[in-house]
Amino acid sequence: MRNPHEVLLKPIVTEKTTDLMQENKYTFKVEPKANKIEIKKAIELIFNVDVIDVRTMNVSGKFKRQGRSVGYTSDWKKAIVTLKQGQRLPIFEE
Amino acid sequence: MKVTAKELNKNKVELTIEVPEEKFEESLERAYKIVVKKINIPGFRKGKASRFILEKMYGREILMEEALQDAVPQAYQQALEEVKDQYTAVSDPEYEMVQMDKGEPFIFKASFEIKPEVKLGQYKELAVEKLSAEVKEEELDAEIEKMRQRHAKLIVVEDEAAGEGDLLTIDFVGKVAGEPFEGGTGENYPLELGSHTFIAGFEEQLIGVKTGETKDVVVTFPAEYQTESLAGQEAVFTVTVKEIKRKELVPLDDEFAKDVSEFATLQELRQDTANKLKEKAAKKAEYELRTTVVKKVAENAEVEIPESMIENRSNQMINDFAFRLSQQGIPFEKYLDVTKNNLEELKKTYRPEAEALVKADLVLEKIAKEENIQATAQEIEQEIKKAAEVYQQEPEKVREVLEKEGRIPSIEFGIMLDKTVDFIIEQAKVK
Repeated sequence: MRNPHEVLLKPIVTEKTTDLMQENKYTFKVEPKANKIEIKKAIELIFNVDVIDVRTMNVSGKFKRQGRSVGYTSDWKKAIVTLKQGQRLPIFEE
Repeated sequence: MKVTAKELNKNKVELTIEVPEEKFEESLERAYKIVVKKINIPGFRKGKASRFILEKMYGREILMEEALQDAVPQAYQQALEEVKDQYTAVSDPEYEMVQMDKGEPFIFKASFEIKPEVKLGQYKELAVEKLSAEVKEEELDAEIEKMRQRHAKLIVVEDEAAGEGDLLTIDFVGKVAGEPFEGGTGENYPLELGSHTFIAGFEEQLIGVKTGETKDVVVTFPAEYQTESLAGQEAVFTVTVKEIKRKELVPLDDEFAKDVSEFATLQELRQDTANKLKEKAAKKAEYELRTTVVKKVAENAEVEIPESMIENRSNQMINDFAFRLSQQGIPFEKYLDVTKNNLEELKKTYRPEAEALVKADLVLEKIAKEENIQATAQEIEQEIKKAAEVYQQEPEKVREVLEKEGRIPSIEFGIMLDKTVDFIIEQAKVK
């Protein structure tokens, strides 16, 4: 199995994800090759919480241009993790 | 809210004010609503970031400044209310933050100058002199004579030498060392001999001239003349006399009385003038009496006046003065420019007067307290009516405006001071 810290890359904090936190769902950028089971285990191990559900999606990189040069930003994987009722992730809060 | 007071020195008090956490939290919440609109956080539209995100990104301090702005003065006002029996603040407070960590009550210190304790001296049975309101016969005569001068007829005289008191119309060309100078020429200039409007010696040399005559007048400018280049110089003025008018006084009789007033006889006019003078003298005597009494009481009392009270008062006086100037169309800055004064110096000149006024007010207030003198509701009503007459408005309306501007207490205060002065005079031995 992958190292849990290699699975989770960083939390994603935006307007949308803060709203999701009301439903006990936390959003991460994860290693694109990681699967849901690995993500679940990584979260449970690192934060010591119970994960009920993991949903993932692949996000395509955006088209960017800088003057004459064109290209894409990297593709990445997003995971939305649902925790057991009453549990929280301190990384998102003080 | 917990408030503890500590006296720093005689006129200065420091309050330590403790605001409960929940209360302070309200202020922070209000602050958040304002701050969040101004701050850009990636991932959020402006004004949409939730509070914990904001606090995490920028720290609690970002809310502090905004929160303190209303929390501190508010708490300070409440604290003042709590200690108002002991202290009355007369200066703006200086704040010092003590404790503002999360999860703890918010504590700060506010120090300010307080209304000083007044040690009254003697204020009863003061020996004062009142000016007499009598009008002497000579004063009356002088007044009548003034009227007579004012109504004198001007008669053009020809072929006669000009004398003291005559009104000349002249053209003049002034030269210093053979050169004309600015302001040295004039045409058809009216000049009354003996009025001393020109440089000393000028008018005297014109005595004896006749209409149509041209005369060279030689004068020396005084050493302290406002135009520096002319000071101390000798000047020759070539003066042409165009016209000589002489004042012709009318005889004092009933005819004169009819001309200058609505009275038919000189006797009646005299009587009326005497009454008017008497009234004026009485008013002046009353005013003098009041000022001397207040001055005496203030002298007898002992007060240590806080600097800020004097400062406030002199600022107020300067403001009033500036306002009066602007009403006359002179901007205050220009006045300072012209008189080569600056604000600091002006303040210094006002200082003694301000100090005396502050002291008088403090002392009178203390006496009023001691003697239980207060303005009654009717007296305030009356004062408002008076103001209404001045503004030509309904008393109710004036009252509404005054109430809105919060000026009723100061009216009340004024009435109380007036009554106190009345009281002192009543008690005094007036000679």
